[in-house]
Amino acid sequence: MDTTTQIIISGLTLGAMYAISTVSLSLIWGALNVLNMAQGALLTLGGYAAYTASAALGLNAPLAILATVVAGGLFGIAMYALVVRHMLDREGFEVNVIIATIGIGMVLEAGLQKLYGAYPIRQPLTVEGGFFIGNVYVPFNSVIIVLTSAALMLALAAVLARTRMGRAIRAISQNRDAARLMGVPVELVYAQVFALAGGLSAASGIMLSTITTLAPTMGYDPMLKAFIICVVAGLGNVMGALYAAFLLGLFESTVQFALGVRFAFISMLLLVIIVLIWRPHGLFGRTRVTKL
Amino acid sequence: MTAPLLQLRGVEAGYGGQRVLRGISFDVPAGQVVTLIGPNGHGKTTLLRCVSGLVRLAAGEIRFAGEPISGGRAHRIVEKGVVHIPQGDLLFTDMSVYDNLMMGAYPNAAYAAAPQRLAEVFALLPRLQERRSQIVASLSGGERRMLAIGRGLMANGKLLLIDEPSLGLAPLVIDQIYEVIGNLKRHGMAILLVEENASRIIGVADHVHLLDDGKIVWNGTPAEMEANEDILTTYLGG
Repeated sequence: MDTTTQIIISGLTLGAMYAISTVSLSLIWGALNVLNMAQGALLTLGGYAAYTASAALGLNAPLAILATVVAGGLFGIAMYALVVRHMLDREGFEVNVIIATIGIGMVLEAGLQKLYGAYPIRQPLTVEGGFFIGNVYVPFNSVIIVLTSAALMLALAAVLARTRMGRAIRAISQNRDAARLMGVPVELVYAQVFALAGGLSAASGIMLSTITTLAPTMGYDPMLKAFIICVVAGLGNVMGALYAAFLLGLFESTVQFALGVRFAFISMLLLVIIVLIWRPHGLFGRTRVTKL
Repeated sequence: MTAPLLQLRGVEAGYGGQRVLRGISFDVPAGQVVTLIGPNGHGKTTLLRCVSGLVRLAAGEIRFAGEPISGGRAHRIVEKGVVHIPQGDLLFTDMSVYDNLMMGAYPNAAYAAAPQRLAEVFALLPRLQERRSQIVASLSGGERRMLAIGRGLMANGKLLLIDEPSLGLAPLVIDQIYEVIGNLKRHGMAILLVEENASRIIGVADHVHLLDDGKIVWNGTPAEMEANEDILTTYLGG
């Protein structure tokens, strides 16, 4: 019983963190058909930005979080406006964007290491304390992570479903030319997508840094897992990404308890292979038939 | 005398090195239905894509309501009131009928007037109201075409560019679509209509242009077209 509780709690916490990164990747893939390899660095940026805002600038927690999300959003916009925009619609742009965003990620990571040093720093926004369910200790921090992530995902789902901007994002990912004909300024919507993804990633980075520590490389592992989840869910499917993130979070924590931590990543990769053999477009993916 | 709503002067365009349009000039006056007919693959769709800003002109000029629009961005051209209803509908297939219609009202002015427009579109195309929360992928071909037209009307445009509205539909459904187009004409909408099947447009068109190999090779009224049978047999195979 306690084991099950423990698995569920740590699985939900992992899932909540993966969910945001996965959804960010999925948003960008869905709208622009490119992979953002700087996702990991965006998480790291979020962690350090929150640290700076609360420790160095002395902002209170809500303000520090807000400033971090804004910083992430602005970085996303800058990435789009300065780099990605100039590569789109040229031949081979998918690969070019992958390489360019790897570069952006490396520069960002090196910059953060130069500024803050390579040693792990404790995230001051971590919430202390916790409670017991049976014999299992549940940190408040985990509860906050799960609730915040769920709230952010619900908000994003509402934006995508009901607002003019959200509809335009979905429309572009389904048919870019048709969206142009409807009067959608596609480049502006792309910038909005990058801002959303950047802001969400920064928020996710704060959460991540509260359960690990701040380090320049802290974004790598969650980014890889977010890619895995994206592939399992079907690239570009935002809601599917959300379900898959929690499923894989639970899967990972189950494997960690049953077989040991070192088998978690391997078994996630195995799962991807199995899913892709069984459903090449992912669990929630659909083949898109474009009719002329 | 006021300038025609849409003016094309010496329009040339193509893809890569391939020139598809070689000097097209004609007008669409306000409130009229002007039709482009001609065999497939001779530039009709390209011409519409030029007007709506999806294809850049290599030469020539397009004016709308006296203002040059060629070279402008597609979303600006929609804002001015030129609405392109593309071939094959290009609907947002994973979205609901309602969401598709709301996408049609994306420009600021249209968005503000969306509730009234929605009521008007539902009055004109009642089938869409029945299906409003259904996902497009579950609609029939005729319903999709209706939705494409309805979505175009949501933009509150002054000129509709309609590309092959009869494509792939059963004769009975084609009749319904042309009934809707006739209705729009009676409401004073200017329409530039592309059609492969010349017999469909008689009764709705005010003027016909025959496009062959990137040039206008003949133009006249539908009555003149009917009287001039060899033109049709030469270019359209009867």
